[in-house]
Amino acid sequence: MKATGPDLNARGWWTSVLSDIHFWVPVAVLMGGLLLLRFIR
Amino acid sequence: MPLAVYTQISSVIPDASRARKLQLLGILSGFAAGAWLGAAEAPTKLVSIGISPMVISLIMVIGVFLARWSLPALILGTSSVRADVRRTPHLIIWALLAGCLWAVANTLTIFAIRDIGLSIAFPLWNSNSLLGILWGFLFFNELRQAGWRRWAGVLGGALVMCAGAALLAVASSTAAPAAHSLRGVWAALGAGILWGTMYIPYRKAYLTGMNPLSFVTFFTFGELGMMATLAISYLGLAPLWRELTSARDVLFWLMLGGFVWVIGDVFQQYAAKYVGISRGIPLSNSNQLWGLLWGILVFGELHGRGVSTYTQVIGGSVLMMIGVGAIAFSSAIGKEQMRWRDAAQRESQRYGVSADYVEARMDGRQAAGELKPSRSALDWFVVAVATGIFAVFATMARAPRLSFHWGPAAVLSAATLALLLVCGLKLWRTTRFH
Repeated sequence: MKATGPDLNARGWWTSVLSDIHFWVPVAVLMGGLLLLRFIR
Repeated sequence: MPLAVYTQISSVIPDASRARKLQLLGILSGFAAGAWLGAAEAPTKLVSIGISPMVISLIMVIGVFLARWSLPALILGTSSVRADVRRTPHLIIWALLAGCLWAVANTLTIFAIRDIGLSIAFPLWNSNSLLGILWGFLFFNELRQAGWRRWAGVLGGALVMCAGAALLAVASSTAAPAAHSLRGVWAALGAGILWGTMYIPYRKAYLTGMNPLSFVTFFTFGELGMMATLAISYLGLAPLWRELTSARDVLFWLMLGGFVWVIGDVFQQYAAKYVGISRGIPLSNSNQLWGLLWGILVFGELHGRGVSTYTQVIGGSVLMMIGVGAIAFSSAIGKEQMRWRDAAQRESQRYGVSADYVEARMDGRQAAGELKPSRSALDWFVVAVATGIFAVFATMARAPRLSFHWGPAAVLSAATLALLLVCGLKLWRTTRFH
């Protein structure tokens, strides 16, 4: 195994989550779901 | 995080036989998930009509909440959950997000069934498996370098299962209301998209090393929080309370449904962990088949229906079994496994999680230096409180008067329990529930 440098010391895990594209896909889908629920109600 | 723990995940598979064993474990977990998620429908069938669907959903989620804390406490202990959270705190956000997605999707299905009936709604939201395949491919390197045979097995299997689900749903529908058909179609499709996307956080968690039992304890806060918010905003606090108190005779059955559902979901989480979401979701979608078996054999749901209905049931069941078989025989081995490791490496670096920990958990074992999970007084307290709450509601429950066939119920219960025992033992022996 080879050593690599960490990139989390410089920024918190919150920043890592918010800058992760994978995070925004479920968030966008959740917002869409809530809007749909409001619409069909 | 100290520098010393940062390493790179090995780019070669350390033990091919171990990888195969974990794949088989994931497939078995998918089968067990289908059986238990299907069995969860049985207690809810005991509930007579007349309660708001939103209240039914909320009560089930309360049962789910109790189970999601007591089962992990009983199996591994809350110290294991705390240790996981210390290593991967960011996954709390992902778990809450997944719980919110589940609650909104579940509410949408209520509207879908009301507007277009189960026969059209079920196959529409079962399309979540196709979306799971897409997300797995795009985000987590699933099915990359898998070869056309595995692609055909997984994608073809999922499509055949969707066709089988459609036939089963048509056969099991008793009415086809069409007052707001377009609205119902949107609701069912929306539920499928939300449920398909919910597996992104699942996969994220398991590629980063979190234990499925830890993930579900935080998932349930999103689930209960969102469901309670929706129920209060739809019904209002006072009417909701009135409905809950007037339904106290059946609260236990609904909570029991939630409890059984959690056992299925835990197996589903292990399936998502060890075979990925592209294979795990369709395998656990076989719950429709089990749900129908309970409905037909135990509750006599299709009694007196014509030959065409039974033809649809048999045809749909055969299609579902073919689909499940195709996926089960398309396990990820060789180069695809290495691509999974690339995805895990990316997550490990992004979130600063020790590569040793991530690699060990991918291999279904504890990392070096991790403390052996143990149960404390707190765990027994959590289990006792959950059991006590269930016992209190059980004393209020009334056995409903309906057609119930004990023989088939005993056979189905035995088969479901056998899957629990076999899969649970296999999980324990192979991974110690990691």
